[in-house]
Amino acid sequence: MNFQFTHRKISGLLGIVPANARSFVDEMANFQFPLQRSLKLKEVMGYDQHRIVDGPICASDLACFGMEHLFRNGLLGRDNFDALLVVTQSPDYFMPPTSSVIQGRLALKHDMFCMDINQGCAGFVIGLIEAFMLLEQPSIRKVVLINVDVLSRKVSPKDRNSYPLIGDAAAIAVVERSADATPIHANLKMDGARREALMIPAGGFREPSSPETAALEDDGENNLRARDNLRMDGSAVFNFVQVEVPPMIEALLETAQWRVEDVDYFLFHQPNRFMLQKLADRMKVPYEKMPSNVVEHYGNSSGVTIPMVIVHNLREQLSRTAVRACLAGFGVGLTWTSMLLPLGPLDFCDLVEFP
Amino acid sequence: MERFYEKLAEVMDVDAVKESDVLAEFPEWDSLTALSVIAMIGAEYGVDLVAADLKNAGTARALCDLVNSKRQAVK
Repeated sequence: MNFQFTHRKISGLLGIVPANARSFVDEMANFQFPLQRSLKLKEVMGYDQHRIVDGPICASDLACFGMEHLFRNGLLGRDNFDALLVVTQSPDYFMPPTSSVIQGRLALKHDMFCMDINQGCAGFVIGLIEAFMLLEQPSIRKVVLINVDVLSRKVSPKDRNSYPLIGDAAAIAVVERSADATPIHANLKMDGARREALMIPAGGFREPSSPETAALEDDGENNLRARDNLRMDGSAVFNFVQVEVPPMIEALLETAQWRVEDVDYFLFHQPNRFMLQKLADRMKVPYEKMPSNVVEHYGNSSGVTIPMVIVHNLREQLSRTAVRACLAGFGVGLTWTSMLLPLGPLDFCDLVEFP
Repeated sequence: MERFYEKLAEVMDVDAVKESDVLAEFPEWDSLTALSVIAMIGAEYGVDLVAADLKNAGTARALCDLVNSKRQAVK
């Protein structure tokens, strides 16, 4: 389905990553694969460093750290926003919502719309769509959109399929009204029939955690993970992205009457470098317009990767100027969504480390 | 399709691939190689395969035939 908005903008963006960096080479010994094959994987996929929480750090810890940074530096007023959206798949608790946890820890006002959104790799674009809709209400001046995940805590270190690429991170986007009447186009599709391609089978109400669900099993390709762990059908996900994403972007550009050349940057979710370069090849987008370097520096932090690709690559540029950006997120659900919007100049665009 | 086997060998990182070779029997074969082959076939021939297609095809020749038939179907 298609969405259209006007008079909306992102006015600031902050990324938060754990200071704890791990390297693929150090972790290779955990995998039951010949080292040569693992090195080949590193080279092709673009694995190197990833940032993961050290210890039982939760989503609200990263989020509150970033919010306090904004308050302390005068980048956001504690009472200047009226909605708090938190997109996460690793909430502090089943209940209450993590947005309520954050509201309470930060002692925010009661006149506040708090809502959690359970979304993954498409979560930044989904969060923007929700934020834009909330801004139809006059009582909502600004929306704070927080994307955060600490999924490394749910990935088996012996699963070479998922562990080398996982990253933990948070991002805070301030979303507000703008004088700009340029239409912002977005589109979205979902297919719950393919929901098992990315899932954590146990730990919910369908299959509560037990000693059995904590036992490591071989996936048939020497990857060991339990039913409590995140599991990804890598080739199904790869195929999904290659088949669904290019036509989605084509349709978006068509709706907006834009050509590929009119887009300054394709700021896509960052599953790994290999998949992004294959997408770029297929869509005839030059690599320099589609940065693919988030996984090698920080890992794939699910819904946080689009903010990460922006703060890592465009920090200086977006402080001064605007770019025409095409965002795309795709993953768990399955969900795939994209958006064309003017981005910048931003009041802030930065990255901080959680100690 | 005459360069199919050359391209296959290149992406699989082996010296040569013959028609009768069973892909999964190469020591270099793993899920990463399978993805690379799928990506090459998508980019070069515009045919979308899934990992199961490679497994079911068996030999390089059968894979070549599969790609050919899917290309014809598209045209």
